[in-house]
Amino acid sequence: MSAPLLEVQNLHVEFDTYGGTVRAVRGVDFKVEAGRTLAIVGESGCGKSVTVQAMMGLIPMPPGRIMQGSAKLRGVEILGRKTIEGREVRGAEIGMIFQDPMSSLNPTMTIGDQIAEPLIVHRGYSRSKAWARALELLKLVRIPEAEKRAKQYPFEFSGGMLQRAMIAMAISCKPTVLIADEPTTALDVTIQAQILDLLKDLQNETGMALILITHDLGVVARMADDVAVMYAGQIVESGSVDDVFYRSSHPYTLGLKLAMPNNDPGRHDTLQPIEGSPPDLFSPPVGCAYAARCPHSMRVCEARSPEQFDVAPRHYSRCWLHHAQSPHRADGLFLGGGNE
Amino acid sequence: MWQYTLKRLLQGVITVWFIATATFLAMHSVPGDPISGERAATEAIRANLAARYGLDKPLGEQYVIYIGNFLKGDFGISFTQQNRQVNDIIREHFPVSATLGILAVLFAALGGVLWGALTAIYRNRLPDTIIMFLVILGISVPSFVFAALGQLALVNINNFFGVSILPVAGWGTVSHMIVPALVLGMGTMAYLTRLMRSSMLEIIHSDYVRTAKAKGLPAERIFLKHQLRNAILPVVTVLGPAIAAITTGGFVVELVFAIPGLGRYFVQAVQQLDYTVIMGTTVFYGSFLVFMVILVDLLYGWIDPRVRVQ
Repeated sequence: MSAPLLEVQNLHVEFDTYGGTVRAVRGVDFKVEAGRTLAIVGESGCGKSVTVQAMMGLIPMPPGRIMQGSAKLRGVEILGRKTIEGREVRGAEIGMIFQDPMSSLNPTMTIGDQIAEPLIVHRGYSRSKAWARALELLKLVRIPEAEKRAKQYPFEFSGGMLQRAMIAMAISCKPTVLIADEPTTALDVTIQAQILDLLKDLQNETGMALILITHDLGVVARMADDVAVMYAGQIVESGSVDDVFYRSSHPYTLGLKLAMPNNDPGRHDTLQPIEGSPPDLFSPPVGCAYAARCPHSMRVCEARSPEQFDVAPRHYSRCWLHHAQSPHRADGLFLGGGNE
Repeated sequence: MWQYTLKRLLQGVITVWFIATATFLAMHSVPGDPISGERAATEAIRANLAARYGLDKPLGEQYVIYIGNFLKGDFGISFTQQNRQVNDIIREHFPVSATLGILAVLFAALGGVLWGALTAIYRNRLPDTIIMFLVILGISVPSFVFAALGQLALVNINNFFGVSILPVAGWGTVSHMIVPALVLGMGTMAYLTRLMRSSMLEIIHSDYVRTAKAKGLPAERIFLKHQLRNAILPVVTVLGPAIAAITTGGFVVELVFAIPGLGRYFVQAVQQLDYTVIMGTTVFYGSFLVFMVILVDLLYGWIDPRVRVQ
């Protein structure tokens, strides 16, 4: 395996609110390698977006605060820094696209100008050169009639087209990492598929790493090489997509899989939701954050936060069931249950 | 675009006609008329005068005559001032009011946008607290107080330096205009500051500003290209009514600073029921404001592409 392109270690992020301090991210580690796709999965409010926004310096501070941790790109720390090795981190080294393309583009600026902007700022292109490049980028993301479209404003574009324009903008300076924060959530299904295909193709062409944030397991299965499952500000299971899907080692991952709607005509299972709701991050539980909802909860789960247990090379789970002294036979549970 | 402009202008003409009609009816429903105040006049003299000025004719007929004269661009002769055409009054005094008004509006708009943006950026910190305190003052203190205070301050400053740095009253040069324009624009500036602050706060937290940050743009560029233009839209929207408030509200400031503007004639005419001057100044002010509002709307289309298409 190649050395990680981007490595995040022990990231902690907090927010001061009127209700107290929210501990949104509580020790997140992950690695992304060049040309590979890491999917960060989890339900709303589990800290997926905060993690990547903290990395990009997009968290308003105050009220936000990065308590500790590091994020290294090619071994160089990027947290709290704007440039590394003479290149701007945001926009040049790491591109980012967001969930809602309708509101993520400036309504009073033409699409072409918005795509050309990073080139002018980071690459020092002249306006006409940047514009010409913007047209090429629009063609690259398969927007027809680029010349005409570039002169239009966001309100003249459809949602899918806007997301394509966002992608064109994010990759304009050839970033080494592209972060896509729920890129298809606001789009309808056929458009979703097109956008995901586009991202995949661009990744194959440019060899950039992709961090895909989503709560859609279907998207994960389609796109990801590696998966990190997040719950209550922590990564509870991490591994290759096959490991996490077919050899799930955390009860939460199993729960997510069971809660996924099934389109298989031969099966008539009812959807099984995960009972309860995520813990209050104002005062996170001392033990495992998932213990209150976990069907296999033990006494130790409430008392002590689980460590990382390596269940296979490059596949770990934060669950006491993997401890040698666990009364349950973890292997039996995870081999039966939701893993078939 | 041209079609839109033409449509707006046509609507403007109808608005002005409506203003003229409403003023005419309101004016005639006030008891008395311009000649009823004459003390020495007997019934016979009054009847003769009324006949001479057409005041004895039925209201409908008078209305037709007035409108007919308006269309010819003739506002008639003042009842109360010796030998003065209403047209002359407007021609002589309106440029003064307009200069003062435009200066005040410019001052209010620039100040409002600047202070508003500043308070939003320094939200809940010292500059914000200070400016917002002043804004509350600016909104709640009436303009004649500011006018008097401004004048007093000028007197003291001039005394302190021993030379006349800025004239205390009167009209003629740019130095005469500065303080009255500041005073006249103060209330509107305070209002625009608040508006700009809230709109800017909304935009600072908008998704596209986050996108601009994720693109790695420098803060000045984000401010100028992504925040300011979008935040300014609500300010531009109220600029039309703001121009109305400033130009018609100029009377008090004109009085305090002894500025020969149109406001004084406008108010005097109403007090004296000087029919022709009331009609002339009202219709003139009305058309001016309608025209300004149309101009502002066209400006809005220029700033916001979403308005432009229809």
